[in-house]
Amino acid sequence: MAKRLLQGNEAMLLGAVRAGAGYFAGYPISPSSEILMAASVYAASHPELRFLQAEDEIASANAIIGASLAGAKSFTATSGPGFSLMQEAIGYAHKLRVPTVIIDVQRVGPATGMPTMPGQGDILQTRYGSSGDYTSIVFYPSSVAECYEYTIRAFNCAEESRSPVVVLSDAFLGHLNEVVDLDAIEVPVVSRTLEPLASGSTRLFSGVATYPDGEPATADADEFIRQYEEAKAHRLEVADRYAFYEYGWNTDAETLVIAFGITRRIAQPLAPHFALFRPIRIWPVLQDHLREIAQRYRRLVVIEGSDGQYASVVERVLYRDVHRVPLLGGRMSLEAVREGLDRIGLLPPELAEAAV
Amino acid sequence: MSYKDKVKTELFPTIWCPGCGIGLIMTQLAMVMDDLGLDKTNTVIVTGIGCTGRMGAYMQFDSVYALHGRTLPVAEAIATVRPELNVIVASGDGDISSIGGNHLLHAIRRNPRITVLCNNNEIYGLTGGQTGPTTPIGTKTVSSPAGATYSPINLQGLVNTNPNAFYAKTTVYHQGQMRKAIKEAVEWPGFAFVDIASQCIENNGRRIGFPSANEMLNFYKKEYRQAPAGSTQLANRQLGIVKGRPAGPEPATVGAGAGKGSGEA
Repeated sequence: MAKRLLQGNEAMLLGAVRAGAGYFAGYPISPSSEILMAASVYAASHPELRFLQAEDEIASANAIIGASLAGAKSFTATSGPGFSLMQEAIGYAHKLRVPTVIIDVQRVGPATGMPTMPGQGDILQTRYGSSGDYTSIVFYPSSVAECYEYTIRAFNCAEESRSPVVVLSDAFLGHLNEVVDLDAIEVPVVSRTLEPLASGSTRLFSGVATYPDGEPATADADEFIRQYEEAKAHRLEVADRYAFYEYGWNTDAETLVIAFGITRRIAQPLAPHFALFRPIRIWPVLQDHLREIAQRYRRLVVIEGSDGQYASVVERVLYRDVHRVPLLGGRMSLEAVREGLDRIGLLPPELAEAAV
Repeated sequence: MSYKDKVKTELFPTIWCPGCGIGLIMTQLAMVMDDLGLDKTNTVIVTGIGCTGRMGAYMQFDSVYALHGRTLPVAEAIATVRPELNVIVASGDGDISSIGGNHLLHAIRRNPRITVLCNNNEIYGLTGGQTGPTTPIGTKTVSSPAGATYSPINLQGLVNTNPNAFYAKTTVYHQGQMRKAIKEAVEWPGFAFVDIASQCIENNGRRIGFPSANEMLNFYKKEYRQAPAGSTQLANRQLGIVKGRPAGPEPATVGAGAGKGSGEA
């Protein structure tokens, strides 16, 4: 395939297809609906991808779990409010240890919020949104090419970790059009790791705490801890093989910018004056890399489309304060970045004038 | 081979209360499975949350113990990915029609080939006896001390919104008729709903005046009547099987073939 102009959302659908997805269930929600629509078009001429526009996001999230158990690589796509609706099912998929992929094209929240404006306010809900303890794995690309690449990697990671892996995006990235050469992006595809239903066994896939033989274990803390620690260790071990990030710009600068998703692209003109750490794997936190890199810098500033969700994580991990540039209300622009840096006294004089 | 091979008797006695109706459903289901040759290579069970949800763990099948109210999206997706499988849902009235109500509505509309066995004991038993969507109006429960405020949901009416669907009403007392209803539901080439009146003696029956499960079973014997042959609509407390018009060749969930589908708009 030659180079082509491709939209971020559509690139994610193509990545899912490349990874061997066999089932999509979703519900229309801005700014993710192009993924649902492209999936429906693809499914109409490719029966190997089963498609359902479900009645709501809760049905979608539970359907993809059923489909994965039945033997198909499955995925859904939504935005913040829909992701919130899916939380119980996400915890359920973690408990069952079922591979699946959930795409969250973020918008400004909370609640219905600003449906067409970009935000990054789902960082914490992709980690802690469901009740109880579980180990999330979340990726967040910054380009259309990466939308394709990291969707494939998410499917691979889902199979290896036997968990619901999240791919984040946002209203800008989802609707960004860039020229890409998909053939140049080579990611080996991991095969299914879960024995499909009705293969001859009598397994119980239970959201309720149970012993391996299916009896309830709803009052056995030791059994709970045993199962939990095993799943956690396994997830962390797999996530280690997916420790993707970018470190660059002016690495000799005094200040490290931490930015991800579309923000990293918006802030590109800062490159001569700042170093950049861009996590692509948002969860688990790239703790070791952050610690090793951040210690070289006098100042850290997190530029993000929320009121410091990722900044709070960085502070916890590094035990030091970070500066914050929150881009709220969908105002995610270089102008807003400059204003934010200026407000905290970190704007270099060279960037003070509108030089775009 | 006997129907007992369909259940994990090594896990007996079950956790269900003495006098619970769910075991009667499991027994008849096991008999139907034995009769029709359903086994762990061709059948999957999906259960909900509530005492009925425990059923999957007792059966010799791969079983999915779903979230509360979410059996139908799971079951339908399994049926879509593996159309050759028998997918049997066992769930309670609250799981299926309260929290699961929206999914019930749309599963009826989409008509997937799944069998739904609803343990309709008109109460939320596991959580102590709260009123449910099928609890008769005026019933005193632990969450309706002055009597249940609303009329029960019309399950048959909901199923009837799709003329292709299958609806049966039975009780755990009428074991032969229940077995027949379950068998025909499993064989039905679309969405089949078996509404099974069942007793919860511990968290409902005793509170509303039944001394034991025996009296509740006798109540079903006395109060439920077979519907006249050929009935297309069952009246209250009528037993019967109402088969819809079989749908067209394409199940509604398949994306290909725009314009073709099951039933009329």
